[in-house]
Amino acid sequence: MSAAVLTRPRADWRGGTVLMALLAPILLVNVLTFLAPVINLAMLSFRGSGPGGSIQEGLTTATWTSLLTDSFYWEILLGTVWTSLLITFLTLICSYPLALWVSRLGARWRNLMMVVCISPLLVSAVVRTYGWMILLGDQGFVPGVIRAMGMTPPRLLFNETGVIIGLTEILMPYMILSLLAGFGKLDRTLEDAAGTLGARPFTVFRRIVLPLSLPGLLLGCLLTFVLAVSSFITPKLLGGGRVVLLATEIYDQAIVTLNWPLASALSILVLVVFGAALAVYGQLSKLVD
Amino acid sequence: MAIARAPHAAGEAPRDAAPAAGLNSVHLTLEALEKRYGNLPPSVSALSLQLRQGELLGLLGPSGCGKTTTLRMISGLVPVTAGRILVAGRDVTALPPYRRDMGVVFQAYALFPHMTVAENVAFGLEMRKVSRAEAKERVMRALGMVRLEALADRKPRELSGGQQQRVALARALVIEPSILLLDEPLSNLDAKLRDEMRNEIRDIQQRLGITAVFVTHDQVEAMAICDRIGVMRAGRLEQIATPLEMYERPATPFVADFVGRMNHLRGTRLDGGGVRVGEAVLATTGTGPAGEALLLMVRPHRIQMTPVVAARPGATGQNVQPGTVRRVTFVGDALHYEVTMGAETMLVESSTVSGPQSFAVGDAVFLAWNPDDTLTFPAGTEA
Repeated sequence: MSAAVLTRPRADWRGGTVLMALLAPILLVNVLTFLAPVINLAMLSFRGSGPGGSIQEGLTTATWTSLLTDSFYWEILLGTVWTSLLITFLTLICSYPLALWVSRLGARWRNLMMVVCISPLLVSAVVRTYGWMILLGDQGFVPGVIRAMGMTPPRLLFNETGVIIGLTEILMPYMILSLLAGFGKLDRTLEDAAGTLGARPFTVFRRIVLPLSLPGLLLGCLLTFVLAVSSFITPKLLGGGRVVLLATEIYDQAIVTLNWPLASALSILVLVVFGAALAVYGQLSKLVD
Repeated sequence: MAIARAPHAAGEAPRDAAPAAGLNSVHLTLEALEKRYGNLPPSVSALSLQLRQGELLGLLGPSGCGKTTTLRMISGLVPVTAGRILVAGRDVTALPPYRRDMGVVFQAYALFPHMTVAENVAFGLEMRKVSRAEAKERVMRALGMVRLEALADRKPRELSGGQQQRVALARALVIEPSILLLDEPLSNLDAKLRDEMRNEIRDIQQRLGITAVFVTHDQVEAMAICDRIGVMRAGRLEQIATPLEMYERPATPFVADFVGRMNHLRGTRLDGGGVRVGEAVLATTGTGPAGEALLLMVRPHRIQMTPVVAARPGATGQNVQPGTVRRVTFVGDALHYEVTMGAETMLVESSTVSGPQSFAVGDAVFLAWNPDDTLTFPAGTEA
């Protein structure tokens, strides 16, 4: 017993060495390809921008000052967070019933339907976005159906509505995958037990199924939110330049205006949003467990 | 709450004692119950039985015999294909589980992992809109009954298997169900705990005078605690009887084999009640036409084995046959002998006693048993 206690630190130390050796390659790759560029990006945000996209020598906080005092950027930030939360919520609403249904199929059908649910990922988001442009355009399928029902279709393209519809569909596979991972742990006999104790089907869902699927649900929401905040092509195309989100603004600053310090500062802002999302996720996960 | 009524002395309660009023009135009736899945042969068919108030019925059978399906039909978790289920004369066949008022203990306990022990037990009361104060009191009383008050605030994963089992029992009983259904509740426990829990279940069931159905594949378990046992085979009820009757007078060779070990002998009935088995003529109590092909069964521990030393042993009228010991297996509390008797091999069991064991391989012995202990079945009825 005491011998075991005495040798333990040594065993831990040796285990730690092996672990470090195994982790070293991926650590190195991450430092070189992620950490270094991010630091570079942060440095860039403290440089001044000159006319014609030139970057001036010397450090300045001018970019950050203008960024944090200009209500325009605050609106972009809040708008992006709000839109992404809305997209996350809609993705969840659309995915949950589907994932629950798929998780309850027999093994053969379940695997088939899982492939069907994930198959949109086989088509590039750009192609799918163009697909939505065709469907949502003034002469497209969706307004056509609405007209056929005798109503006046609202504008669905080149505005926020279009972005939300497109991103919700594009992000659904990620949400479904996360939810399915969570549902895997759901034991049907728990629902049987709740039923025999007098719980009606909806109560069984509310008291048993939903609480037990929360870990998968939270993970799916985190993933969807992060992907929504960082998505660029879909908002750019479906928004038609009229919907300004953090990602599209970064693109405009970096490629159109050639203000690299501002683009860098905005990129750091996106990282901060991700950090906040992760913190919220961590807190909620603790609550759920 | 009923749990407090009629405090019963601890230990084995008399099997035929009436723990509560209303005994002998039929409480649960199954009428020609049938369950089919698609075009497969029925999982359960033509199953009829009646349970008196306060009776504990064991449904016994090998896996896949339809005993769990029967239990699930009673609880409403599986819809019946045909037949009726009546509780106290009321037809509940069409009712969903949440309106049947039955307490179910599942094989894997099915405790809600995200709720504490107390919340698990309170769930059924909450569904019944019992006031918070009353629910709290009843939960604690139910937990007291299974001696788990101290663990009320734990999560199920922090409990041992036996404790989880007791929570499941408390959760099923706290709602004061009209019928308690137990689906192999002891199969996940180790042997020692299993004996303890089965006595506890019997004790509580008798104290509450609750009608219960207990599904198991373990005949010892069923015999130990059940008032009556129904042996099922391939979806049908093979026999329903008291444990004693089931053991001593099984209706079919299948039942005889299932409720305990059996020697099988094939023979032909002679005039005058004897049965010819090989060279020997054995006495039985059965009667029938001469020349009938028979299957004879004798329980291994009903055979006495004596050394061939003095005169022919055994009382008059006993079957006595010479044999040779071929194999001896020591299993702790008993010795299992394989003895060749003519062309047959007989299994004989005797309790171990202190001192050297009495027989060794190669010993010549006499086997003696009562004609009463020889069960006869028409040949061809065995499994």
